[in-house]
Amino acid sequence: MANMDSDSRHLLIPEGDHEINPGPMNIQFDSSDIRSKRPFYIEPTNIVSVNDVIQRVSDHASAMNKRIHYYSRLTAPADRALIAPDHVVPAPEECYVYSPLGSAYKLQCYTEGYGKNTSLVTIFMIWNTMLGTSILSIPWGIKQAGFTTGMCVIMLMGLLTLYCCYRVVKSRSMISSVDTTTWEYPDVCRYYFGSFGQWSSLLFSLVSLIGAMIVYWVLMSNFLFNTGKFIFNFIHHINDTDSIPSTNDSNPVICPSARSGGHPDNSSVIFYASNSELQQFEKWWNKSKTVPFYLIGLLLPLLNFKSPSFFSKFNILGTVSVLYLIFLVTWKAIRLGFHLEFHWFMPTEFFVPEIRFQFPQLTGVLTLAFFIHNCIITLLKNNKNQENNVRDLSIAYMLVTLTYLYIGVLVFASFPSPPLSKDCIEQNFLDNFPSSDILSFIARIFLLFQMMTVYPLLGYLARVQLLGHVFGDVYPSIFHVLIFNLFIVGAGVIMACFYPNIGGIIRYSGAACGLAFVFIYPSLIYIISLHQEDRLTWPKLIFHAFIIILGLANLIVQFFM
Amino acid sequence: QGKSSPDAALPRAELGPSASPRPSPRQLRRVMPNTAMKKKVLLMGKSGSGKTSMRSIIFANYIARDTRRLGATIDVEHSHVRFLGNLVLNLWDCGGQDTFMENYFTSQRDNIFRNVEVLIYVFDVESRELEKDMHYYQSCLEAILQNSPDAKIFCLVHKMDLVQEDQRDLIFKEREEDLRRLSRPLECACFRTSIWDETLYKAWSSIVYQLIPNVQQLEMNLRNFAQIIEADEVLLFERATFLVISHYQCKEQRDVHRFEKISNIIKQFKLSCSKLATSFQSMEVRNSNFAAFIDIFTSNTYVMVVMSDPSIPSAATLINIRNARKHFEKLERVDGPKHRLLMR
Repeated sequence: MANMDSDSRHLLIPEGDHEINPGPMNIQFDSSDIRSKRPFYIEPTNIVSVNDVIQRVSDHASAMNKRIHYYSRLTAPADRALIAPDHVVPAPEECYVYSPLGSAYKLQCYTEGYGKNTSLVTIFMIWNTMLGTSILSIPWGIKQAGFTTGMCVIMLMGLLTLYCCYRVVKSRSMISSVDTTTWEYPDVCRYYFGSFGQWSSLLFSLVSLIGAMIVYWVLMSNFLFNTGKFIFNFIHHINDTDSIPSTNDSNPVICPSARSGGHPDNSSVIFYASNSELQQFEKWWNKSKTVPFYLIGLLLPLLNFKSPSFFSKFNILGTVSVLYLIFLVTWKAIRLGFHLEFHWFMPTEFFVPEIRFQFPQLTGVLTLAFFIHNCIITLLKNNKNQENNVRDLSIAYMLVTLTYLYIGVLVFASFPSPPLSKDCIEQNFLDNFPSSDILSFIARIFLLFQMMTVYPLLGYLARVQLLGHVFGDVYPSIFHVLIFNLFIVGAGVIMACFYPNIGGIIRYSGAACGLAFVFIYPSLIYIISLHQEDRLTWPKLIFHAFIIILGLANLIVQFFM
Repeated sequence: QGKSSPDAALPRAELGPSASPRPSPRQLRRVMPNTAMKKKVLLMGKSGSGKTSMRSIIFANYIARDTRRLGATIDVEHSHVRFLGNLVLNLWDCGGQDTFMENYFTSQRDNIFRNVEVLIYVFDVESRELEKDMHYYQSCLEAILQNSPDAKIFCLVHKMDLVQEDQRDLIFKEREEDLRRLSRPLECACFRTSIWDETLYKAWSSIVYQLIPNVQQLEMNLRNFAQIIEADEVLLFERATFLVISHYQCKEQRDVHRFEKISNIIKQFKLSCSKLATSFQSMEVRNSNFAAFIDIFTSNTYVMVVMSDPSIPSAATLINIRNARKHFEKLERVDGPKHRLLMR
């Protein structure tokens, strides 16, 4: 290329030029400046008319595009002089990936084929993104399903969601007519189902986001409450022996919901009528009446930030929390020992049957626990060896399944059943440890901080998707954003006050958003594309239709449990 | 000390102003073989202010390696880009740290500043040495006053994209005032530019517009031409740079950036053509809504005609353009030697 360029110089400058040879003629440069290769990204504000047929780009953006195009022909690849700087073309780093109850963070976007991540890094990223607060509900889910059933359901759901994820990853390759290199899964849905596909995928991803944010609010109130209580008890040297049944040893486990006429909300009642200071504290620091409101002052300002890139730096907290939880669970299991008895169908006083018919509650939770279908394409795009994508995805899913199994089984098995019933396992298993327990106090602090950093990110993603599609502008005005944030925060506060059952919230939102992204769309798109290529056979059709029916059943049966 | 042009013996001492105030044409020709009768456009500014990129973009050159840093090639005929037919663009780093360059510059001052038609001085808006910049600018102005007092002066405040958007007007106004003040008695026109928006193209288009002596007459003729052939829009481009010299439009057009876009598209196309050892001559673009023709017009201009009536056959428009060509060339020649700019 440089050869011909020197020819062109001769043509343009006939008098001859004593310029120096322009340097390496190597087309396959390894540009340390990746900016020279990034695609020109047009922000949504520049798309002036969006209808299904033609999308027009604003004149300003189109002129910039032409300018960049032209400048790139003027320089050698290694030359930095005419590469668009970041303040002119927004950097592609504004790409976030998230899993509803896992982490959310910014991603370095490379064009296809330039991914720099080794398989190990990719697997870790998938594992890290998927794993999140749904871990806390897995033991409860196993309890609801029965031990044996629970384990089988976890493994089967893992396999099923893995297969659907594989379908998502392969969905782009079935489209041969259009260039799909920059597409994410909602773009594929739009290709097959038109604007219905676009709007429905937007709706379902909003369901998952808002469900996750509500769960976060409930959990944050819970953890903040317990943290405050721990600190208060620690300062005033109060020993918290209350009427809640618990085990009487150095590793107390409590059963908060087993009191007469147990309220669904977990307000703890302590009978220390003589101590008015404590009473005051109890009045102002109540898990469902006051603490959710205190959080508003903390988090609502954070939600109004235009760009949450600051929060994405705290992504490491998620990994640390999960590892700490694993450590915590292992430690407690060692301390408490195993308490398992196998009764197949009949519940006993302390144990639950192995096979229960409430197992759909577990499948609902797991749909959200194994959810990564909205961003798996982006995550795998950065894999260095693209041919290993399926293998790496399977390994990541296997690791996630193992983690869930490990924590769920250990918590379930080590739950001290002779004094307490297995039915006591809470929807958030940390609730089974009293607020005076140091190890769980640390876990709650970790999780509290982690959730406080992910919450604004999820809010930003929900805002970008909803406001971006409805108003065409991701930040139309402070009022739009404020109203949107108030709505989300309000939903969280209401749930925290009246229905703080995170297991319930997770399974409803999981089944709902999983219906679209996990079950229906991948299978339906596969069927349609096979049909277009005339490769549809009866076994495939039946199998995938069965998956769709499973997804529907998953959602419907949640309402009957 | 690096290589130098085979013709230049670098007789620094002899050509200093004290030695011989006006070197004979023969001597001049020995040092600068081709510039005897050519007028110059000087593009000057501090090193690193963006002149090379600017030249590259406007003239569609492959960007040259920075020769000053290599210290070597000091050639008065630094860049032979032809412009408006008869002008030659010279790029100079003014106020660099290199003492060798400084000496050469000082000793060659008269040669450099002789026969200058246009001085374009580039200021880097981010520069931390405003005093020094102004000092060098003033010394250039002195040289211009001595050697080419009729030259037109343009100041470009460059790299404006690095300034916050809300401060740009303010900062530019400040600089403009300073420069106007410093330039007296000479008149200078100031522009603010950045290669990342349309301001660079607009500034150079304004410069070219001011360099064309009979531009009003040209515009009137262009309008008549457009009305006769029932065109929607007619543009006249300078040949080397595709800067718009003048244009006529019969109704409001939506896209204000269209001139720069067309210029960029054609320059890019020219680069591609040159790779195949061909040169761009003409282009016709047509669909059911419009037809556009880009063709060589006079010896130094290109014309672009946009017709929105697709029923008019191409041949008719092309014949019209061909006939107009003769008229416009006559127009250029009629204006005599004074307006040598548009002549070969």
